[in-house]
Amino acid sequence: MPEIKTQDFSAASVAAMADPKLRRALDRVASGFEVARLARVAEATPEVWDAWRQEARDIKAHTIEHLDYYLDLLHTNVTAAGGRLHFAKDADEANEIVAHIARTRNVKVATKSKSMVSEELALNPVLEAMGVEVWETDLGEYIIQLAEETPSHLVAPALHKSKEDVAELFSEKLGIPYDEDIYHMAATAREVLRDKFMEADLGISGANFVVAETGTLVIITNEGNGRLCTSAPRIHIGITGMEKVIPSMQDLSIFLRLLPQSATGQRITSYVSMITGPRRSEDEDGPEEFHLILVDNGRSKMLADPALREALYCIRCGACLNICPVYARVGGHAYGWVYPGPIGAVVSPMLVGLKKAKELPQASSLCGACREVCPIKIDIPRMLLDLRKKTAESPDPSVRSAPASERAFARVYAKLMSSPALLRMATRFGRFLQKVERVIPFFSPMTKDGKWIRNAPVPPLSKWTRSRDLPTLPKQTFHELWEKGLSSDDS
Amino acid sequence: MTTPESDELLGTPKAEFLRSVRDALGRGDVPPAELYPRLTDTVPELEEQATQIRKRLEENLPALLDKLAEMAALGGWNVHRATGVEEAIGYIESVVRESEATNVVRSAQDVFDAVPVDAALANMGLKVTTVLRDEANPREALREEIRRSGIGITGADYALAETGSLIILPRKGLSRLVSLVPPVHIALVRPEDILESMDDLFLLRRLEYHQRGGEMGSYLNFITGPSRTADIEMTIVEGVHGPKEVHMVILG
Repeated sequence: MPEIKTQDFSAASVAAMADPKLRRALDRVASGFEVARLARVAEATPEVWDAWRQEARDIKAHTIEHLDYYLDLLHTNVTAAGGRLHFAKDADEANEIVAHIARTRNVKVATKSKSMVSEELALNPVLEAMGVEVWETDLGEYIIQLAEETPSHLVAPALHKSKEDVAELFSEKLGIPYDEDIYHMAATAREVLRDKFMEADLGISGANFVVAETGTLVIITNEGNGRLCTSAPRIHIGITGMEKVIPSMQDLSIFLRLLPQSATGQRITSYVSMITGPRRSEDEDGPEEFHLILVDNGRSKMLADPALREALYCIRCGACLNICPVYARVGGHAYGWVYPGPIGAVVSPMLVGLKKAKELPQASSLCGACREVCPIKIDIPRMLLDLRKKTAESPDPSVRSAPASERAFARVYAKLMSSPALLRMATRFGRFLQKVERVIPFFSPMTKDGKWIRNAPVPPLSKWTRSRDLPTLPKQTFHELWEKGLSSDDS
Repeated sequence: MTTPESDELLGTPKAEFLRSVRDALGRGDVPPAELYPRLTDTVPELEEQATQIRKRLEENLPALLDKLAEMAALGGWNVHRATGVEEAIGYIESVVRESEATNVVRSAQDVFDAVPVDAALANMGLKVTTVLRDEANPREALREEIRRSGIGITGADYALAETGSLIILPRKGLSRLVSLVPPVHIALVRPEDILESMDDLFLLRRLEYHQRGGEMGSYLNFITGPSRTADIEMTIVEGVHGPKEVHMVILG
């Protein structure tokens, strides 16, 4: 698995927010993808769109509840089509399957189309260590491969790079003159990679969907690199998570409508490629061998937890990233692993362990926008709350996310709120402190107009007031007003 | 080289993997209480639905052709509706003239019997190659020719009015690469190729799959407009790995 930096979320997000270049890049996402998505929802009409989402959710829910059955059916049909389906319980096992195929078939050059799961597995270093040349061919993935970075968005992996960054990178790594014209840079990538497509022995792709009924792998792309990777080399390996299976070919209509429109606002992508086994004897071209690798790699932990199972319905469109106020400020890298944004804040803790990713469920204002835009109606805020509960209640102190002061405060708060007498006493004591504050000049910078506490003196309140003001206690509480018959002129 | 049999034990054995999935779901080896409705469809039921689809297509053909032209243009195709064969060939000639291509490849499909492009293009001094394997033209030679060509011309297996997509299936005489590798792709669509929606397409494909005893064919591709990317600063660039320019000639 790639290096896990989920534990550094707080520090990484502070650094990200201070980066003006990243701000501009993230603004482009918000104004690009989400605006286009909204236009598509309006075109379909919100009622029809909602009916599609419900249908897609029902299909996913049924499939995940009977995942063993559909995986078995898929195995039967991939095999019947002349392909091979391999199951991998973790990253090492998946990488070893690819390495075995590459070794035994004397693979020298491999081309890859975009696959988030292969990022999750950190497959490239394994192949490179064997002496296999590996070429990422999606333009965004190619850029981050040259830069030796990781994707920062599910759909647009290099969005954090400016055109100047890419021009510098191409100039340095490809030994060409600096040229920041975006069209020229895309043409350079076409030129370099065209030879590799034709030379490659092995093409590696991900899969957006896998159809159990027919054993078909479905990939959705715009550049055409997915078609080239799966058509030109003599071997094709598709790698994806075990949750990507859907029952019938007819289920594809709904997902092919929802995925591109939610991801980029396109009615459909330039290409949808459906691959069923290797080339047949009558075909003019296509790979001689077709392998599909389905990985668990922690997914069965999500499956086993009814509160988090629906995270497996995700089709990786990225709509929740594009709308998320937290993602919009910190970007993808701050999340510290392969899957960023709201869905990443659910998936990463399950795949890398809550201990390392305990901060991620906190990376949300719980505004609910992610749930609103999700084409599968996944209730991400509910799952984030569930994960927060798990971090709060864990018997293992290293999993608990809140510092001791915050936990102590929460315990006191819970006591106060469950006892009217204690609450009254505490309120009176608080008002006393506020009075003292007004007469002792030392405390006065702490408040503003007597109505707001600007700097609370002790944690965790002092942390809270670092970026917000806290209202002071009123002279009379609602209870007191009520007892007086609500006649007070004071509030 | 190893035989496929020696790969048999790559990864986790199926039974063990499925058991771990069942354990996670918290139940034993039981099939779904209610099988997914679509999976219980019989061939006669699918045939009945296919008949309904064909009837609907026939009744709405003019409107569907209009819709196809509209959606294909929105999807990035240069759409040309040709009233006759001569007009179609004339349009192809004009595209070829502007492209400065010297080599053209085309697939071997029925539509070229009705629209004889070879003679017209040869008259313009172009080398036209039909991608159909035989002793004189082995796979590798054809692949090189496709790579050299400035234009690829194909027919359609289907065309979808819903999205303006061209649907291509593999078969003898229909390479995957003719519509992908040359920088210009021209597709010829006949009225009988048209389908209203993806629902129509997938039903017909399922029917054929079951009629052929579980054979889907190795490949099905949707093509909607040119190849494109927005990976640098969200700026759309056409023609990154596939064709930069695509033309849909609708015969009718």
